[in-house]
Amino acid sequence: MQIIFQIIFSLFAIAALGLVWRRRADGLLSKHSALWWSIIWLAVLALAWYPNSTQVLADILGIGRGVDLVTYCALAFLFFTIFRLTIKIESLQRDITKVVRRDALEKNNI
Amino acid sequence: MIMILVPAHNEAKTIENVVKQLLFVGDKVVVIDDGSTDDTALLAGNAGATVLRHTLNRGQGAALETGHTYARQSNADFVVHFDADGQFDFRDIPRALASMKEKNVDIILGSRFLGKEQKIPWLKRAVILPFARNIDRLFGSVSLSDAHNGFRVMNQRALNFIQLTQDRMAHATEIPQLIRRYNLRYAELPISVSYHEFGQGPIGGFRIVRDLLVGKFM
Repeated sequence: MQIIFQIIFSLFAIAALGLVWRRRADGLLSKHSALWWSIIWLAVLALAWYPNSTQVLADILGIGRGVDLVTYCALAFLFFTIFRLTIKIESLQRDITKVVRRDALEKNNI
Repeated sequence: MIMILVPAHNEAKTIENVVKQLLFVGDKVVVIDDGSTDDTALLAGNAGATVLRHTLNRGQGAALETGHTYARQSNADFVVHFDADGQFDFRDIPRALASMKEKNVDIILGSRFLGKEQKIPWLKRAVILPFARNIDRLFGSVSLSDAHNGFRVMNQRALNFIQLTQDRMAHATEIPQLIRRYNLRYAELPISVSYHEFGQGPIGGFRIVRDLLVGKFM
């Protein structure tokens, strides 16, 4: 049964890696971001085939099970991503306001 | 020059009357039409206001800052913030200007709690406004008897310092923050407010807190 999950996760991680580098080739992703995303998807691939490897790190950090460590890390990563997206959206909103304001003032022409 | 800024979003019912009244007490009335889908802009222009039109709805704070930019470019001596829904009394403007001179301050902020008793909905008076006052203090505002009162009068000095970055309703907390940051001289003035609608509810309050928190990371 475990092999099915390993294959599904592996295919997913490989597809994601391919997408990352295709976006990099299209110039939509910086080298820095492409590297970080590659590390994340390679880690997913490694964990799929060596699920017990997380136990070593979990023991060092005093967390009971390896799977708990993965869950905590995933949650932290998701929260951080949401935080960054929120800031980015607000920044875009402010840029839109600047454009709308300039348009309103230019049309009025003091 | 006394310039009265009126941010408006779908206020066709009241804008004409508000502009006509304001022209009695100000040199120039500027309506910032914030992406209205009704005839607000047309009616305001016909009533004698200068209309600045946001093609997209950007929020009250954004509309006020557009008005501020226009006022700075026009070299206005005094700027008044006035709501478009007709809940304020235009006769409070000359009182505010006189009070500003008398007290030698840079900005006058309207208050619903200093004067005669106002008809403020119970939930707003007893729960929402005290909570909002504490939130304002938490975010570094000067201490005020009223929170989020849209009636303000400022001189050129205050206008140059008060540059709003909060597009939505959190600008009402940002203004007292900027007053404190730049050591502006301020005073409160009791004004009349007649409620036509409830205004901001608890959800609006949470949105303001969220905007203020996000603003800290910008």
